[in-house]
Amino acid sequence: MAQIPPYPSQDSQDQEPETPKFRGLYRYVKVSVRTLDIIIAACVIVIIVATIAGMNGGPTVTFDSRGGTDVAAVDCEPGEKLVAPEPPTREGYTFTGWYRDPNCTDMWDMSEDLVSEDITLYAGWSKNDP
Amino acid sequence: MANPVTKLRNTAEEFKIKSPKDKKRFIVDSILNNALYILMLIFVIYTAIMKPNFLSLGSLANLITQVAAYLPMALGIGGCIVLTGTDLSAGRVMGLTAAVSAVFMQKLDIPNRMFAAMPEPSVPWLLVTLLVVLAIGALIGLVNGFFVAKFSLHPFIVTLSTQLITYGIILWFFNLNDNNGTPFGGLSDVYMDSVGGTMFRLDNIGVPVYVLYAVILTALMWFIWNKTTFGKNMFAVGSNAEAAKVSGVNVFWTTVLVHTLAGACYGYAGFIEGVRSGSVQAGTGMNAECDAIAACVIGGVSFVGGTGKISGIILGVVILRLIFVALTMLGVGSSSLYIIKGAIILCACALDMRKYLVKK
Repeated sequence: MAQIPPYPSQDSQDQEPETPKFRGLYRYVKVSVRTLDIIIAACVIVIIVATIAGMNGGPTVTFDSRGGTDVAAVDCEPGEKLVAPEPPTREGYTFTGWYRDPNCTDMWDMSEDLVSEDITLYAGWSKNDP
Repeated sequence: MANPVTKLRNTAEEFKIKSPKDKKRFIVDSILNNALYILMLIFVIYTAIMKPNFLSLGSLANLITQVAAYLPMALGIGGCIVLTGTDLSAGRVMGLTAAVSAVFMQKLDIPNRMFAAMPEPSVPWLLVTLLVVLAIGALIGLVNGFFVAKFSLHPFIVTLSTQLITYGIILWFFNLNDNNGTPFGGLSDVYMDSVGGTMFRLDNIGVPVYVLYAVILTALMWFIWNKTTFGKNMFAVGSNAEAAKVSGVNVFWTTVLVHTLAGACYGYAGFIEGVRSGSVQAGTGMNAECDAIAACVIGGVSFVGGTGKISGIILGVVILRLIFVALTMLGVGSSSLYIIKGAIILCACALDMRKYLVKK
């Protein structure tokens, strides 16, 4: 008897809904609707938990040392003064303080100013005389 | 398009004749399929209760402004996603073009002016600047598109490398002329006013001129996507490149042009970002592509390829911005925001796949 070319059998067609074929970027994804439901529910829970956790965190102050050594961000309580971090260093420059704007015109006064929201402070540098 | 009211009534009638088990299934399906919309609604209601001024006109003005700023990049990246690709270089291209716009439009009298040879900022010079940044964006897009189309490389690889190369160029640019990475500030009034000037006020919060530009850009992109041969070819290539080739579509040029157009959109986004940030730093635009991709996926521009609408992208950007405006008002810290963004992208993709599977 002659060889019959391998056509897809009836069984494999029945199985198709079980292993659906995606196109595009999902080409190699094999997932069932049930698993997706769990993923969606998990993501929603993560979003809600992150929101609640983040709300209690208070404002964050990040420091942009602008070429100097890195300074880690600080989480503070709203309406409190900022505790001065270790000043950054930079070769050939002297640190002059932290400023609200990158052009270093509006200085942050550690003894006066209160943190109310997320803010980035920029390091001020003056060039050393050679 | 069917009338939404009739559609809803039909759905309600279909719902009535279902068995209890199917009814339960239907409810679970609807909740899951609309998980992000429901989540957004919860956020909005909760924020409105906690912070009453969230539901003010000023807050609406803030939302419109933010949507107008984030929309151009999403419109560009949308085309790449329709082609079953993506573009990771978008944020850095925006950073580079923002830096170039800032340097071109610096005031004459500031001490640390980057290039002394630049002419005095004026309206014609502003248009030249716009053309230059559009060209820079388009050029990087062209490189992306060429490598994707010519060698069938995956856009992830190509755009990741252009992202890094672009960042290198940004850092190099910031160190020219003994600048030592100092941000570019002191932007001229011509630039600030003609892009970020107030059109009208809602509740004392100004709506800037670039909202109008965003509307024009959206209309233009809608026209390109829906009314031109190029747009139709783009969807054909996205849904099945082989079939498109057989039916006479030039797959190579369509791919190249989609990426070039996307690049020009990022260039425009950078032009706006220069005004928005007031002083451009080397890190400007970092990870901005994540927001744009998330907005597209939320708005139904599927990674499956070949599907997507401009209206969907707008909806996606609005939803994402609304969630972030609400979260910022609630005082959620930036560290949590990143976790939430990641979860939103994963959730949007899962929803996207789920819709595709259920339809089958």
